[in-house]
Amino acid sequence: METNPSPTATSHYEHSSYYCPLPDHSSQPSPRRPLKGFAVIFASMIFLMSLVTLIIIQSPEPASLEKPEKDPPLSTKPSSFYNISTPEVPRGVAEGVSAKSNPSLSGNHGVSYNWTNAMFSWQRTAYHFQPQKNWMNDPDGPLYHMGWYHLFYQYNPYSAVWGNITWGHAVSRDLIHWLYLPFAMVPDQWYDANGVWTGSATILPDGKIVMLYTGDTVDAVQVQNLAYPANLSDPLLLDWVKYPKNPVLIPPIGIAIDKFRDPTTAWLGPDGKWRVTIGSKVNGAGVSLVYTTTNFTTFDLLDNYLHEVPGTGMWECVDFYPVAINGSTGLDTSVNGPGIKHLLKASLDDTKVDVYALGTYFANNDTWAPDNLAEDVGLGLKYDYGRYYASKTFYDPKLERRVLWGWINETDTEGDDLAKGWSSVQTIPRTVLFDNKTGTNILQWPVEEVESLRLNSTDFEGVVVKPGSVVELNIGTATQLDIFADFEIESLGLEETNEANGGCRGGAVDRSSLGPFGLLVIADETLSELTPIYFRPANTSAGGLKTYFCADERRSTKANDVFNQVYGSQVPVLDDEKFSMRVLVDHSIVESFAQGGRTVITSRVYPTEAIYGAARLFLFNNATRVNVKATLKIWQLNSAFIRPFPLDQIDTVKPLQPF
Amino acid sequence: MRTLVFIVLVYVVFQIIFLSSQCARLSSNDDNLIEQTCKQTPNYSLCISSLKSDPKSATADVTGLALIMVNVLNTTATRTLIHINSFLHHIPSPKIKKALLSCANMYYNGIITADVPVSIEALTKGDPKFADDSTLDAAKEATLCEEGFSGNSPLTVDNTNVNNVARVTEAIVKLLL
Repeated sequence: METNPSPTATSHYEHSSYYCPLPDHSSQPSPRRPLKGFAVIFASMIFLMSLVTLIIIQSPEPASLEKPEKDPPLSTKPSSFYNISTPEVPRGVAEGVSAKSNPSLSGNHGVSYNWTNAMFSWQRTAYHFQPQKNWMNDPDGPLYHMGWYHLFYQYNPYSAVWGNITWGHAVSRDLIHWLYLPFAMVPDQWYDANGVWTGSATILPDGKIVMLYTGDTVDAVQVQNLAYPANLSDPLLLDWVKYPKNPVLIPPIGIAIDKFRDPTTAWLGPDGKWRVTIGSKVNGAGVSLVYTTTNFTTFDLLDNYLHEVPGTGMWECVDFYPVAINGSTGLDTSVNGPGIKHLLKASLDDTKVDVYALGTYFANNDTWAPDNLAEDVGLGLKYDYGRYYASKTFYDPKLERRVLWGWINETDTEGDDLAKGWSSVQTIPRTVLFDNKTGTNILQWPVEEVESLRLNSTDFEGVVVKPGSVVELNIGTATQLDIFADFEIESLGLEETNEANGGCRGGAVDRSSLGPFGLLVIADETLSELTPIYFRPANTSAGGLKTYFCADERRSTKANDVFNQVYGSQVPVLDDEKFSMRVLVDHSIVESFAQGGRTVITSRVYPTEAIYGAARLFLFNNATRVNVKATLKIWQLNSAFIRPFPLDQIDTVKPLQPF
Repeated sequence: MRTLVFIVLVYVVFQIIFLSSQCARLSSNDDNLIEQTCKQTPNYSLCISSLKSDPKSATADVTGLALIMVNVLNTTATRTLIHINSFLHHIPSPKIKKALLSCANMYYNGIITADVPVSIEALTKGDPKFADDSTLDAAKEATLCEEGFSGNSPLTVDNTNVNNVARVTEAIVKLLL
């Protein structure tokens, strides 16, 4: 900040001094005049300095882009995903899944695990989508085109941690056997130089594909950009063009420049205009902004939000789509009318969970309201109660399905990820249907094409598991499995007390009258490492059962640098239903589905001993007062052999007929 | 003339008084942000001293404060790595040596190579949740390093410092989510 004499001072100076000398230049005539002149000049400079200082203080902070949004300091925050707490000391001694098999109690106090290459290699999945190496996160723009399913994904080409985000690309005929393609988009424009972030595809009625995605600009402002295939008749959609006049959307007034991302697939309104919604955060509330457009290049922001829920924080990866109440088929995103509910979903930045609610979409004013305010977005159900985030659906016109992708991060340390050279997988894609039996949940189920991986199966009929016991299921190798299991509880005639159902928190060793019981996956012979997937029912005072479905990762590994906890939630079990679960086991990932997909838990496990041929499968019953009778069908699954597309043979790839 | 000088001098005095009150308000405004931010961390005094050790904290916004803490984390972790190296040079017992090597791995590959760069990247690019995960990861690495000595740790002060700095950093990052 310079203090230059203003014209006023100079002219003032010129008037008061005959000699026009410099202020510090003393001169002969009358000592009083220079002194007076000097005093005046000095006073003026002080005056000017204070004026300038005053102006600088009063002016707003210089910023390249305005940040109008300032969150008030919050006194409490929802606890983060990484709420590291020590496991409760199990009460009592039980056989089978007992406290004794807990390595942290056996005296081997956490020397950080020396991972071997064999252990790391084993962790790679056989039939889940993951790149050959490096970091992946959100699935992007899933779509179906000319006989191929496309998946794009957030990818770091340089490292196994997040950064330098680029769009990876892969294609498949069946959502299972994926072939890697070259990158679809790289951060090569000013409007996405800091990351080609998450986006969604809209298929127009004439078959054109429109991709809206978030770009992080050179100045780290979040903007929305338009991209489209260079050649729509290319079934592989290898090349993509970014609209020359990007961005098509910049953060509107009242929205922070770092809280404006993840545009959804568009849907048609009754007026023939498309709607797109983008999540944000305003005063601590998660909000869903709505834009209308006819051309995907110019947009109008509606005054109202699609919906907002106070206190839920930033909404990332918003998804919005219709489901049929009779639960028979998936629906295109634009479908509306009687017999339809709309599902609104958000990924919560604060807690790293994916939450959803079912409700009604009012197309006349583009608002949505939940069926049950107490179970509003962020207050009620989660898509998945395990390690799961940034999910996104698309409509598959080939089989008329709503298909759901979800990103599964690692739960080991970032150092481990760097050492093994990769991080993250996607779930097996799941179909989504409204559960019209409960009316409150959706049903998620692995796409049927996963059955093409089946090799052979083993059946078990009516296996009785007594209280506190473990039964091995001899099926050979137990690292790539599709398990169907039904359980019935048989009273032993012992008095059953009404206990409060503590839920999943206590883990698999938390015994009660009726549970827990279920499977031990990725377990070794001595049960030094094991991952229980189980039900925990309890009688309620009102009569009937309240049941929890849980996955207990706390003894999944002897290594202590893995974040493992107990995951799970209540699952509705109807009167005429047995306790049923389906579990997909694929090395370091386990996807568990209860009651046909009413409650789902994805788990990551990193065993040190229960690997390769040493991994086993068991049944267990830790209830105290009931036998459990289990009936199972267990399939061995083949690898999906996910590999690069043979582009050098591309001329011999015949044009594909739609199915 | 004398009157004029007198008036000007009185004016100057007023300006000086006004200026100083403005200056006071200027510094208390920034102090206010630092204090408000640090109150929401698990270690207020560590937060204050860490932030104020960097002159940029006077004019930083919350993202800037978070970046300063990440820098403190980096410095503290680097210092710990130097200590680990010096302990290794003193020919420790095999058990201690094993734990030290393990710690060196965690500090170098975990905190310095992964957690710090990812946190900086996430904070500067506007997706702070990755900084949230990474700072927690750093806290965990320090805790694991300490546990590896089963009670005979020569690095307790270092590990505690790193753990505390990481948790303060994470608390500031959470304000940006």
